[in-house]
Amino acid sequence: MFVRSDDKITSGQASLFLTNTVLGAGILTLPRSVTESAKTPDSWMSVLLGGLIVMLVIFVMVKLSQQFPGKTVYQYSKGIIGKFPGGFLSSLLIIYFIIIAGFEIRVLAEITMFFLLEGTPVWAIVIPFIWVGAYLVFGGINSIARVYQIIFPISLFILILCYILSIRVFDINHLRPVLSEGLMPVIKGLKSTVLVYTGCEVVMTITAFMQHPQHAVKSMLAGIGIPMVLYLLTVIVVVGGLSIDSVTTSTWPTIDLVRSFEISGFFFERFEFPLLVIWMMQMFCNFCSFFFNASLGISQVFKLKIVPVIFGLMPLIFISTMVPKRMNDVFAVGDAIGRMGIILFILLPVLLSVVLIIRKKGLKQNV
Amino acid sequence: MWSTIVSFIPDWKTFMQAAITLVCPLGIYYLYNSLYSVVGSGRASKAGKASGPASPEKMATQTSPQLSGNYNADLISIKQAIGENSDVHFREFMVYGFNVQAVLIFIDGMQDEGLINKQVLQVLMQDLKVDSEAITLSSIKEKILPLTELSEINELEKLQEKILFGYTALIIEGMSTALLVGLPSGSKRAITEPVSEGLLRGPRISFSEVLSENTSMLRRQGLNKNLEMKLYEVGTSIKRKLVVAYINDIVNPELLQEVKDRISKIDMDFIAESGYVEQLIEDNYMSPFQQTQNTERPDRVINSLLEGRIAILLDGTPFALIVPVTFSMLLQSPEDYYERWLPGTMYRILRFFTAFLALLSPALYISFISFHPGLIPTQLAITIIQTRQGVPFPSVIEVMILEVSIEILREAGIRLPKPIGPAMGIVGGLIIGDAAVAAGIVSPFLVIVVAVTAISSFSVPMYSTGITLRILRFAGMLFASVLGMFGTILFFLLIIIHLSKLKSFGVPYVTPFAPIRFSDWKDLYVRAPLSLMKRRPEMMKTQKKKRRS
Repeated sequence: MFVRSDDKITSGQASLFLTNTVLGAGILTLPRSVTESAKTPDSWMSVLLGGLIVMLVIFVMVKLSQQFPGKTVYQYSKGIIGKFPGGFLSSLLIIYFIIIAGFEIRVLAEITMFFLLEGTPVWAIVIPFIWVGAYLVFGGINSIARVYQIIFPISLFILILCYILSIRVFDINHLRPVLSEGLMPVIKGLKSTVLVYTGCEVVMTITAFMQHPQHAVKSMLAGIGIPMVLYLLTVIVVVGGLSIDSVTTSTWPTIDLVRSFEISGFFFERFEFPLLVIWMMQMFCNFCSFFFNASLGISQVFKLKIVPVIFGLMPLIFISTMVPKRMNDVFAVGDAIGRMGIILFILLPVLLSVVLIIRKKGLKQNV
Repeated sequence: MWSTIVSFIPDWKTFMQAAITLVCPLGIYYLYNSLYSVVGSGRASKAGKASGPASPEKMATQTSPQLSGNYNADLISIKQAIGENSDVHFREFMVYGFNVQAVLIFIDGMQDEGLINKQVLQVLMQDLKVDSEAITLSSIKEKILPLTELSEINELEKLQEKILFGYTALIIEGMSTALLVGLPSGSKRAITEPVSEGLLRGPRISFSEVLSENTSMLRRQGLNKNLEMKLYEVGTSIKRKLVVAYINDIVNPELLQEVKDRISKIDMDFIAESGYVEQLIEDNYMSPFQQTQNTERPDRVINSLLEGRIAILLDGTPFALIVPVTFSMLLQSPEDYYERWLPGTMYRILRFFTAFLALLSPALYISFISFHPGLIPTQLAITIIQTRQGVPFPSVIEVMILEVSIEILREAGIRLPKPIGPAMGIVGGLIIGDAAVAAGIVSPFLVIVVAVTAISSFSVPMYSTGITLRILRFAGMLFASVLGMFGTILFFLLIIIHLSKLKSFGVPYVTPFAPIRFSDWKDLYVRAPLSLMKRRPEMMKTQKKKRRS
């Protein structure tokens, strides 16, 4: 087939879709939030442990989605637990996606106002961002996947470059002692690492778009593995570079780390600027994933055309962006999103899988 | 509980802004859609419309009045139809020995006089051996006229068209068939070096305005029985020949069908240049990016054919079109392959860098100077700001002044007669650059930025791509002037999104970046050694994957 009109993505594109959905805000905030809750240099273990748990979660989601090839969670949830309960759960997921989309933009706007555009009103940053995002979402899953494939290598390159350059301030002693207070701090740290992996629910929709859904487990695990490794690196480099005391007191520790050294004789003496650029592009990817998933969900649950749905979501996302008043509210929303993520996991994949197993094995029904 | 929730409900201002968020894109969406459909409706006829061009076979089946065989009647009807033209000449004579009348009809200036005199008139009027009673069509063809190019024609209208196009027609009394004895030999240009795609190393041949010469140039690249050329006639009022060339056992048949379909849908009275074809068959006519590649180099065409692409050649223009095109092709030059692989690779990387500069450097300048001087090294920032001290404009206006004047210079340089052109460019550039700085309108640093930008945009090997980058550069400057670095990032994202949405004949424009095809990356940033490029580009989905036997 030469001219393709079907909405299918390759396994690699699916992996990157997940990576770009998860990798974003956490680059700047994760080191502080995880160190705050763990209070020991072992926070990196929380990231690792959190990643492994999320991998398990994703495994469940993929396995569930593979039972219904070509169908998204919005479609098959109706088949499993009936029309209205399924629609209700899907709506919860959609609201969750809209809230995250708003949260992502808000964080981006706060950072932009703090570092780049002082004194610019929030709406002037948020509205163009939503518009550009909508332009991408109109293109459908294929365009989104292609944009991700272009942006991710750039981000990866700059990110790794920043980390390599920050080796000069890296001190292994900042990461010691290992497990001085036992495993408890690591488990406490999990609370904030879960937040950083939120958004992995998109697995339940991407699997439907895969050209070869049978490879879904492998590509999704790879897709979550990349951000896991990058987040792990971030925490290790930032905590190792700044020590836990200064990490917990700074709002954006990663930027502080990159600001803390200068490379003279280079055009950019400080690397916070390229870091901010790629971070913004990652945030854009994050936002578009949630925007796309929310609009897809609404159009599938309520059987609407996708174009009016995208238009309708634009002001909705804008309002959800503007609801938090202060920075603290924003972080509170972030924590709430983390909790919602856990609840949604129990409600959606776990409940659906249990019902499915009971209906198939116990009642021998054909779902 | 309620009071907390109520306290978080945004005020009416936010709702107004939300309304703006909705209304603006909605307006743009409808405007774009209506514009798109308006442009699209005037572009091609609906499929299956008879007024469209037809392939040669179809043309033959159309019935029209035939030559009757009555010499006088035929001659009169031809004279009535085209005899009014001052340049149509009728040379009547008697065929020696048979005593039948004959006439040569030709257009003044297009007949090959020597050939006609010697091989037709002389033969028929003097040297004819009378060995049978009557002169017949077969005897003329087989025994009398010593010509390689000799064709018969029966239809009156077709005959008139051919005569007007420059063929010399021979009608002999008693025959209901006219003979075309001479090919049109109008004036034509000598083959020159390609003007728009000069190379230091590589063939210096370029296409000319004559289609048959162009196709023969492709044929002469080497022996290959699979190089196929299909003839089409385009244009409803003035018909022109168009050739679709491809390599039979490489090209993807579905792609070929798509190209043929689109060409047969062209509906226009006259196709003046291959640019018309390009605009009538491209996928997205609202995009600033070209979706076909134009070239005047036969070597470029043949290389593309071997990659599984398709070339479209039009009579009357030296520019052939290559489809489908991807973004990476626009930054490639044939010289990359002719030089050894290390220099080739260096040129490639350089061009990606210059494309980036040509697109974004004024935008970056504006955002750094107006919004974030803190992000560039302090020393540099101080220097730039010192040089800008006398400048009375914000940096956007400053950049616009210089960019616009550079564009004017460039445009004037092309239009001016050749001897003055370069001198004018240099003088204008010096005066504008030097005097504008001295007058305090622009800063010297900006002159450097704009000059680098301009030179970068000229180093892009495809002229049309350079134009695209220059147009987009102005858009980038607007974004940067409103939102600084944030705006520049949004602009960059917009371009990436647009490119990702764009397709050329079903091939995503940004392949092999996305969808990633690593095997095609050998010919992207690097030009891998030829021995490593064993396969044709994967994106073309060719029939024969391997380049080697």
